[in-house]
Amino acid sequence: MNSITEIHEFVQGLLTGNGDEKPLTDSDSLFDSGRLQSIEAIEIVLYLEQNFGIDFAKIGFDREQLDSIEAIHALTQSACKIA
Amino acid sequence: MIASSSAPQSRSHNSKSNRWTEFRIIPRLETFPWAVAFAQTVLGKVILLSLFCLGLFLTAYHPFPVLAFTLAVALITFMPAYRRHVMTIAPVAIAVRCYFKQPLLLGLNLALMALGMLLYWCVMRWPKSLFAKRPITFLLSGFTAVILMACLVMRGTWSYTPLWGLVGTLSSYLWYFCYAMIDRNSQPGRDATLELSTFGPLWGQNHIPIPKGAAYLRRIEAKNPEQLAIVQLKGLKLLVWALLLIFFQSVWLRFFHAYLRIPTSDQSLAMSVHQTPVVWHLRWESLILAFFESILSLSIWGHQIIACCRMVGFNALRNTRSPLYSTSIIEFFNRYTYYFKELLVEFFYYPTFFRYWMAHRRMRMIFATFAAVFFGNIFFHFTENWTIIQDKGLWNAIVNYQVFAFYCIVLTAGLSISQLRKHSSKPTGFIRGRVIPIIGVLMFYCLLNVFSFPGKSYPLVEHLKYLASLFFIHF
Repeated sequence: MNSITEIHEFVQGLLTGNGDEKPLTDSDSLFDSGRLQSIEAIEIVLYLEQNFGIDFAKIGFDREQLDSIEAIHALTQSACKIA
Repeated sequence: MIASSSAPQSRSHNSKSNRWTEFRIIPRLETFPWAVAFAQTVLGKVILLSLFCLGLFLTAYHPFPVLAFTLAVALITFMPAYRRHVMTIAPVAIAVRCYFKQPLLLGLNLALMALGMLLYWCVMRWPKSLFAKRPITFLLSGFTAVILMACLVMRGTWSYTPLWGLVGTLSSYLWYFCYAMIDRNSQPGRDATLELSTFGPLWGQNHIPIPKGAAYLRRIEAKNPEQLAIVQLKGLKLLVWALLLIFFQSVWLRFFHAYLRIPTSDQSLAMSVHQTPVVWHLRWESLILAFFESILSLSIWGHQIIACCRMVGFNALRNTRSPLYSTSIIEFFNRYTYYFKELLVEFFYYPTFFRYWMAHRRMRMIFATFAAVFFGNIFFHFTENWTIIQDKGLWNAIVNYQVFAFYCIVLTAGLSISQLRKHSSKPTGFIRGRVIPIIGVLMFYCLLNVFSFPGKSYPLVEHLKYLASLFFIHF
């Protein structure tokens, strides 16, 4: 399973937990559209720290980088390059 | 971000039961292709603007004189390319309109806008400087220093009025500056004029920046005529919804307080403090009514601002969105006052979360929640109600906040537990999964409302006595 699929499944899980059963594409906005709440960005952060070894204290946190699955995937890719 | 007008077709195939859940008191006009197409014609635009203008006249919310606001929106509607020009003029126009008879305040407002732009430029120019790395810490401590300075100045001296004028003016710009400072990393490209326009938005200036700063506005801006039509239809709908709520509120107040003569929560508490308590069921009734009234008035206030914002062409989320559906304390907090929660999260929760207790997942969350809901909440209300500090002095003002501090501690505990319980297994079924959690959440916030009096309250013990008396405990 590649990383974008894993991320998709994780985000889909967060949405399902909120009772959001609408379809989700990789480019859909998560926070600006109100589908996920700002506190839930923390869930994604913890997931990325744990599974991709991203250190947000080092690279800085910007919620825009988590606003879609594509953006999260791009973040994991760039973080891997830096590492 | 902005919904396409083709969305409704899929809904037409939905089952009959889905039609009921999709039922809306105000039809979802923005999803009807004919409505979106009509709203893009000259006649459609004129009708839309006229209806919105009429609606604004009927509300009590007038960020500008209604005709001036409608004129600005008309200009933006027919010439969207000039949207940012109109918005850039707005902060200066609002300041001149509000303070043209008070030269000191007018000067302070204009000077602070210039200061905000200068700070924004500094952050951009020197991104590696200490100020650019910790702008929020600098701004909040700078503002605290100004308050302390003003407290040290004696009443009657020449610097007293200008200093307190500075405190008052700065308190209304503080959080706008904070958003401008964190905007430095935002994509796509920065725009200094949009930054300036957020210091005094066309849809009205409040202590809470609604809807956040320029970075957010850039992302939710209507990019073409179809998107503008959709956003404006949503704006008109929201204003109509606000009007319905205003009507409902007026009926509610007349029925419960004028006809049934149920005291307000403030009256009921005051009578208990003065040893003439109302009967127990009236105490409960006034408490429950006050809770629903606070939701109602907050919804009306937020809907009017967001409706105006949408008419300008920004598809902002509502400030209050169905809080009564919340099944957890954290969900209610998200739904009750979205932009205030966002402010606390952006400026207190995130910075704390990424700096402290990095190795302890639960402690990180709890400490960040404490920073936002306790410290941030108190700091916001303390500086928002700066006149209490001016009138009573710093120490008395701090003492005055004891009840609100208790409110914040309990809320912090509730939100922390709610976050930690988020991943535990939830009961299923309509009653155990929905009804019971909703009642529990509403009861929590309803009882917490006994302590929700930022800055103006009786001693904490009186509030505790009042709470205990609801359960027949008297001390």
